[in-house]
Amino acid sequence: MVFEGRGQPVVALDKVDLHVPTGSFGSIIGPSGCGKSTLLRLVADVMQPFAGSVTLSGDTPRTARHEHAIGFVFQSPTLLPWRTVRQNVELPLDVVGRKSTRRSSKTPGELIELVGLKGFENALPHELSGGMQQRVAIARSLVLQPDVLLLDEPFGALDEITRQRMNLELLRIWAESGTTALLVTHSIAEAVFMSDQVHVMSARPGRIAGVVDVPLPRPRRLDMMRTPEFYDCVNRVRDGLFGRDSEPTPHGEPVEAY
Amino acid sequence: MSAAAVLHRTLAASWRPLVTATVLLVAAEAAQRAGLLPVFVPSPSQVIAEAVQDPRLIYENVGQTAWRAAVGYSIAAGIAIGAASLAVVVRPLYGPVYNLGVMLHSIPIIALAPLLATWIGTGSQLQIAIAALTSQFAMLVGTIQGLRAADARQRELLHVLSASRLQMLRYLLVPSALPYLFAGLKIAAPSAVLGAITAEWAGADRGVGAMMLYALFAYDTPKVWLSVLLTCLLAASGYAIWAAIEHVAIFWEPGTDLAEEP
Repeated sequence: MVFEGRGQPVVALDKVDLHVPTGSFGSIIGPSGCGKSTLLRLVADVMQPFAGSVTLSGDTPRTARHEHAIGFVFQSPTLLPWRTVRQNVELPLDVVGRKSTRRSSKTPGELIELVGLKGFENALPHELSGGMQQRVAIARSLVLQPDVLLLDEPFGALDEITRQRMNLELLRIWAESGTTALLVTHSIAEAVFMSDQVHVMSARPGRIAGVVDVPLPRPRRLDMMRTPEFYDCVNRVRDGLFGRDSEPTPHGEPVEAY
Repeated sequence: MSAAAVLHRTLAASWRPLVTATVLLVAAEAAQRAGLLPVFVPSPSQVIAEAVQDPRLIYENVGQTAWRAAVGYSIAAGIAIGAASLAVVVRPLYGPVYNLGVMLHSIPIIALAPLLATWIGTGSQLQIAIAALTSQFAMLVGTIQGLRAADARQRELLHVLSASRLQMLRYLLVPSALPYLFAGLKIAAPSAVLGAITAEWAGADRGVGAMMLYALFAYDTPKVWLSVLLTCLLAASGYAIWAAIEHVAIFWEPGTDLAEEP
């Protein structure tokens, strides 16, 4: 993936090889500017790679997108401010048409309940807190029962307390929905806690520096964050990011630690 | 909000300007009666007397001007909003449409009105054409800016959902354009009134502009002031109508009321 910027073209992604098994929860972690969001946008067919390929269960991203097989949750809730909570959750149904067969077995009302917003169906986005808005966005991403759920730092703007709660909720919803999930984050603990596999990226050009398998059982609980297995995984991700001796990165790149 | 609360809020918001206006009017009246003002500044009571004396003068002229301004404004709205939408959808048209709007807006109306009068005559068509010319630009810019206002994430959202271009317009671009469109409609309404009045100077038998011109030539200063007052009222009502419609239509903007100072 090469960006033609002002002046020198910037190689945003180079030699990225990443595999997320069906039904599993994968995450991508890396420093700011390593191309994690770009990678996610390649999978969602928002951008196209100059070389290489992305496949979703054998389909190209374009085919998957046209079949409405992709759910995307942005860093900001990205709700339409003139639509109520219910209307926002129903937006994908309005786009594909109510008769489409691709839709969740759950009704929009049940999805709103699932994300804990029962009673707020008729509220407008500006009447909700940031965390509540992001939960609406998650409900909206599930309404077409996507095969792949792409999450671009969905809780990055939230405070620590809300974030932990949202992570637990997201795992519960994901387990119920049975979709494949790919989460982009720059929090090591979040990546390990959520995922079956953590893909560690390095910056400029963005590459996959390593993959860490997380052996923690599911369903995940907050007390698992105190176990030696959890710390071991966190340390392996940190080694992948900073090098084995955990010195600052050679170029002094800022790396968000948790 | 209950009716009592609405009334309370309206009163709370309006008593200060009302008191200010009353004090200024009383002061002007007193100053004029004490002989402190030059003769060509009438007292407020003289202006009001002028209006009461001959109410036909008011509604015949105001009705004419309001009608011509409204027709010109509507034609301009149709053309400007249509052209702006086309310019956003068909990229090569963007430059020409925008430039034409700027050019038409830059023509000095005071010179154009007599020139246009020799071409299309001094009937209603002249005032309508000038009202349209003076009001088109705000609506053109409002529509163009509005249709480009949706942010990149919202566009990506509709893209990931494989929305068609029509769905993109319907679900995202048009609703996000509305606040900008209303801003344009509000700014353009007084412009249409002022355009119609300027056009009436180039020769019209009726209208607030004609009334103003006749009064000026007759050194009838209370009537000149009355026509100025009528112009202001007409222009402000054009604005107020759209502000009221906007208030109902744009229901999703969060309130900006901050805590009151104690």
